Amino acid sequence: MLAEKIGRVVLEALRDGVGFFALLRQAAGRWRALARWPVRQVFYKQIYFTGIEALGAISVIATLAGIAITTQIVSLAGADKALTSRIMLWTIVRELGPLFAAIVVTARSSSATASELAGMSIRGELDSLRRLGIAPLDYLVVPRVAGITVAIMAVTVYFQFIAIITGFAFTALVYQSSFFTPLADVVSILSLHEVSISLFKGLVFGLVISGISCLYGLRVQHSITAVPRAATGAVMRNLIAVFFLDGVISYVAFF
Amino acid sequence: MSRSSDRDIVLRLDRVVRGPLGPVDLILSAGETAKVIVESRAVAEELFGILAGQLLPASGRIELFGQDPAALSEPARLDLLARVGFVPEDGGLISNLKAWENLILPATYHRGESPAALESRVSALAKRLGVPAASLATLLGKLPDQLTLAERRQVALLRAALMKPSLLVCDFLHAGLDRAAGEALLKAAATVAEPAPAILHLCPDDAVSARITADRSLRLGAEGP
Repeated sequence: MLAEKIGRVVLEALRDGVGFFALLRQAAGRWRALARWPVRQVFYKQIYFTGIEALGAISVIATLAGIAITTQIVSLAGADKALTSRIMLWTIVRELGPLFAAIVVTARSSSATASELAGMSIRGELDSLRRLGIAPLDYLVVPRVAGITVAIMAVTVYFQFIAIITGFAFTALVYQSSFFTPLADVVSILSLHEVSISLFKGLVFGLVISGISCLYGLRVQHSITAVPRAATGAVMRNLIAVFFLDGVISYVAFF
Repeated sequence: MSRSSDRDIVLRLDRVVRGPLGPVDLILSAGETAKVIVESRAVAEELFGILAGQLLPASGRIELFGQDPAALSEPARLDLLARVGFVPEDGGLISNLKAWENLILPATYHRGESPAALESRVSALAKRLGVPAASLATLLGKLPDQLTLAERRQVALLRAALMKPSLLVCDFLHAGLDRAAGEALLKAAATVAEPAPAILHLCPDDAVSARITADRSLRLGAEGP
């Protein structure tokens, strides 16, 4: 019984994996659709929804994370130490920035994208697009994949900036230490490798979150009960995929 | 009934069968109007789905502009469908786009026309189709869910007309509306078809349908024609 259950989960994960890579490959082959005006409008709307509208939540989470992490680091290493800046860099730039950005985007945009596409599919709007001679892949998938990916990369950088600034500002206020010294340390030890890996994580998370969300949204059956299932399914798959990939990328890049 | 060469034929249905849809034979040439009176929605949905390339006939053959949609690749089929103006029973609008965005979607997508340039064309077209200028702005600012059935079909008809289709397919255009609204839509559809495109009406068996002037008429029941 347990083996059967495990087998079903593995088969489902494999099916998702195959579907995800097929969808992403097709979308990559159709990226030129972004040159069309209506597709670009969907792309801009996606960036607005995933990136700009998420800035409030990202700001709050980045501020709280920055304060919590610097408090822990300072209590261990002391304020005004190069080690404090180094640990701050490791935790925020390497790990928490891309991870938290991905989690916030998953919570907001993954469920929204999956349920929106599922609703469109159930209402027959994919057929409506085809009747207009418009490929749903071009109009619905390409701009969402591109928009979510660009937005996650931007949100990641924004998270890192806010967390580091507010973390050091809090330390400077509470421990009466310098604000600029640890900041200058962070800038001096920040390498291109660090920045590249961080952006690479944003890119991978963006592709995964958008691809899985579109996949779950587009493959629903013609039943309204499939909409919430598509949304929750996409969120759970995305969270698992993001944590798994974060571990893999960190291991390959930093060990 | 006019005689046409093969080159003028825009639609050919040759013994098409699927589910409740009996064997259908129909040839429609440029400039002609055909009405297919169906006795149930199920039959209309099968035929509309086959025409739109969404359903495959169980047997028989369909040709749109001389090509079998089922035999084409997806991009080629979509290019073919872009030449047809479909006005589905529910309007077939995209729910997260306002009526204006729905209206200009195919023109901006296929022809790269700018929305600003389309504004004057839409106004002129709406005037031609009998949509009052005063209500046009209000109508186009709404989402599909906020529109009445007649308004959704009106937007779909305008959208089709904007693309200057070679074939206009109207699915139950006047059904479910009061007589005046239904007849206004049928009149607008006839205007869209001027001067040359062919028009195919799928319609219920009622008094309004009986008054549609057509070059070819066909009656389909659950048991076939």
